[in-house]
Amino acid sequence: MLWVDLYRPRALDDLDYHAGLSDRLKSLAASGDFPHMLFYGPSGAGKKTRIAATLRQLFGPGVEKLKIDQRVFLTPSRRKLDVNIVQSNYHIELTPSEVGNYDRIVIQEVLKEIAQTQQVDLSARHRFKVVVINEADSLSRDAQAALRRTMEKYMSNMRIILCANSTSRLIAPIKSRCLLMRVAAPNHDEMHKVLLRVADKAGIRGGIPDEAADEIIKDANGNLRKAILVFERSKCRRAPDLTGPLTIAKPDWETYCHKVADMIVQEQSPQRVMDVRAKFYELLSHCIPPTVILKTVADRVVERVDEALKADIMHWAAIYENRMRLGNKKIYHLEAWVVKVMSLYKHFLFDIDMTGFDD
Amino acid sequence: MDELSVIEARRLASEDTQQPDTQTPGANLDSELWIDRYRPKRFVDLLGDERLHREVTTWVKEWDHCVFGKRKAKRKTREDEGGNYLPEDEYHRPNEKSSNFIQKLVQLTYDRPFKDRRKKQKGGKRPLLRPIICICNDLYAASLAKLRPVARIVRFTRPADIHIVKRLRDVCEYEDLKAEPRALSTLVAIALGDLRGCLNTLQFIKSRNQQVTEQMIRMATAGMKENESSFLNVLNNLFLPMSKKRIKELGLGEEEETKYVDRLSRELDGSGALDRIATGCFEHYAKRHQHDATFSKYLKANEWLVSYDLLSNRMRSEQEYALMPYLSYMLVPFYPLFQERGGERVERPKADWETYVKTKANEEIYKSLAHAVRTGNGRRTGHYRDLVSEQILHLEFAPYLNRIISPPLRPVNSQVIRPEEKAILSRLVNIMVSLELRFVQEKAEDGQLMYRLDPPIDVFVTYDGKRAADIAVSRYAVRHLVAAEIDAQLITRQAEAVERSKASRPSFFGQRPAEDDADVVEGDGIDPEGEGTLGRAGPDEQRPRKKAKKVDIADKPAVDFFGRLIVPKAATTGTKPNSAAARKQPEKAYKVSYKYNEGNSAAVRKPVKVSSFL
Repeated sequence: MLWVDLYRPRALDDLDYHAGLSDRLKSLAASGDFPHMLFYGPSGAGKKTRIAATLRQLFGPGVEKLKIDQRVFLTPSRRKLDVNIVQSNYHIELTPSEVGNYDRIVIQEVLKEIAQTQQVDLSARHRFKVVVINEADSLSRDAQAALRRTMEKYMSNMRIILCANSTSRLIAPIKSRCLLMRVAAPNHDEMHKVLLRVADKAGIRGGIPDEAADEIIKDANGNLRKAILVFERSKCRRAPDLTGPLTIAKPDWETYCHKVADMIVQEQSPQRVMDVRAKFYELLSHCIPPTVILKTVADRVVERVDEALKADIMHWAAIYENRMRLGNKKIYHLEAWVVKVMSLYKHFLFDIDMTGFDD
Repeated sequence: MDELSVIEARRLASEDTQQPDTQTPGANLDSELWIDRYRPKRFVDLLGDERLHREVTTWVKEWDHCVFGKRKAKRKTREDEGGNYLPEDEYHRPNEKSSNFIQKLVQLTYDRPFKDRRKKQKGGKRPLLRPIICICNDLYAASLAKLRPVARIVRFTRPADIHIVKRLRDVCEYEDLKAEPRALSTLVAIALGDLRGCLNTLQFIKSRNQQVTEQMIRMATAGMKENESSFLNVLNNLFLPMSKKRIKELGLGEEEETKYVDRLSRELDGSGALDRIATGCFEHYAKRHQHDATFSKYLKANEWLVSYDLLSNRMRSEQEYALMPYLSYMLVPFYPLFQERGGERVERPKADWETYVKTKANEEIYKSLAHAVRTGNGRRTGHYRDLVSEQILHLEFAPYLNRIISPPLRPVNSQVIRPEEKAILSRLVNIMVSLELRFVQEKAEDGQLMYRLDPPIDVFVTYDGKRAADIAVSRYAVRHLVAAEIDAQLITRQAEAVERSKASRPSFFGQRPAEDDADVVEGDGIDPEGEGTLGRAGPDEQRPRKKAKKVDIADKPAVDFFGRLIVPKAATTGTKPNSAAARKQPEKAYKVSYKYNEGNSAAVRKPVKVSSFL
């Protein structure tokens, strides 16, 4: 078992940080009046851990008896959609964004089914079942609209818990129907505490040295899951203790994105455009989401260019990211941004040269 | 478009699907279209490659046996009628999208060979007794891919212009239309050999005038249907200016020559493959090594591509197909930006498709990894499930997992390994077993043995064909060691499972719950002491399958619907034993024997007690 999963806290009481949030969740679960909820916060902050713990608080350890199955839904055009569904006697978890544009069908079918069946287990602590919807921020407009109606209608025997990275892509009616729970990324000390606990449980002699912990935490940037994965990886690489300098390898796609950014800054020519395009294709074929590519490359380019250009480059990155979401062929937009940046950069250099001539 | 069918009969038969643009007012005048009037009625009337026509006729005659059979008389009459013989059954391909139709056709052709043998089969379809003749413009259309291997392909090429001109002149004579010789050849050149188009134009002119001049031809063909041109031609026209010859054929002046928007947009619309053309533009524009100091052309080109993408996506997602006519204008600007005389021909774009194929393959690998992570090794408790939501899986889990499973290990015998290395090894093996990762032995192309990771998640740390530098290349000997350990681990788990099933058997029948609700069974698959704890992958699935299959069902350890062992829960007691049948079974339970069905000698085939295997 990997540490990320092995040492995940199971109950609200075991959580390492955000004690205030845990208290609130506990009292909510204790009160008979549990609302719809929306957990949001950056990746790796502990949203799902808290959702699972809340469910446990609500229904007892029974929620951990899960079964996983794949359900097939049929679209009106008779296309088959496979969706993985995780469920216990008390709740059901699904990720409708798995099926892209057809998420509305999945949402409707599943929610209707849950809403129309009563809790049969007489010993259950609550009369309602909980539906956990992961990646709620990538739900399509249609799916969100479908959700909004059901949330009101079937309140008597169903509660919805949404999990999202940010609330910005959720429509207002959904937000207003939920109790918003922000799960902030843990700060440095909190992460350090968690790493120490993990080291302790994993039986690492002498725990984790402070420098190593610092490195890992700095690299993880608030993403605890990443920190623990990196920690475990470093442990695998250099047994048995972690003393000495620690080099943290970035994920390969990130290194590769940085290489692309360097290429853009080094040279601006048609040939370079083609080279960069080939790199983008390579990244896309590794299933790296194009928005992530754009963001990572843009961040790196901005690091490397003159102050005067930074704002412009980010501005255009934002614009092309938006267009990318509206469009279909991601590679067009990525390249359009690259050409834009190259042109900006050329103009910038050109101007400097000219002033040089003037003197 | 090269293969314009020259047998006019066929060409005209498809008239209803392709109504010519030049509507002929002559139809009122004469109530008959020239294309009907001058449709060849006999073999000798056909225009074009005569050898080809003979071949087709021979082929059709070969069908006589099937088609007529008993009805010889009918065939006789037809032959007497004039010795010409044209195919009867004609199927028109209604639409590119009608894959069902093609499917059906292919099916029909396959039915034939079986039929002869099994005629008795009740309810079977009749053998195909009629020739099926399909006509298409683009032989390599995707929809025809399945049909091509089963069909005999006859390729009609455009007949030489001179023959068409001659035929047209004959027609003009019949119709009392005076034609300048130059006028007719111009007409044929403009129409690119489209005989139907020529005839329609002539009839149109005839309805107003008694003679044909070059000038009139130019006027009349102004709105003439553009030939459907292939996607590659259109793409080339975007990047290369019109050839001098074509300009002359069309008789364009200098001013007209420079106009392109109308011409290109019409071609683009006619191609019906705008998306592919857009991809082609995208792939090609940067290959034009034009001097573009400020990238202004590139910027514009990308703006147009982005707009094209936005518009087409909007059109599709909102089903606003009224936007369709505007799409082609988004690609026309590539002509003024990048056209260049003497530039290299544009090749079929392939990078996009290759990426698509690769992405699909990688998605499959992710899927199998995600599946293994979710339910690997009989783990049904949903651990890890957060890790496989797409973004996390792609961005964090896959790269780090690759590093976690490649620790620095020395290739030594597992017996002499140092204790700390042993710990690393066992941990590695545990992780790999729980995620259903294996090393599979394979022979490389040069015959060398190697171990491949399966599922091959190492592709996610491999960019441009190079593995990440910080991951030690795991050597054959190391992988061999790990693979052996994994196998050993799996075997111990199996053995454990068998042990447990043996232990649980006697007490089981007394406690069987009266009814098994699916949900309860789900919980029962989990052993009681593991409830709520972590780190236990239910090894129940690993029971030796083959053995279980052959043992009498009553003697098997009880399993639930999914084939997992039912281990009684400590809590569930007091349910009624299942009377007679249940009580009888425990006595039989120990008389287990096993018999090999294969094997050469009786020594192998003799019955053996199952206990001797355990």
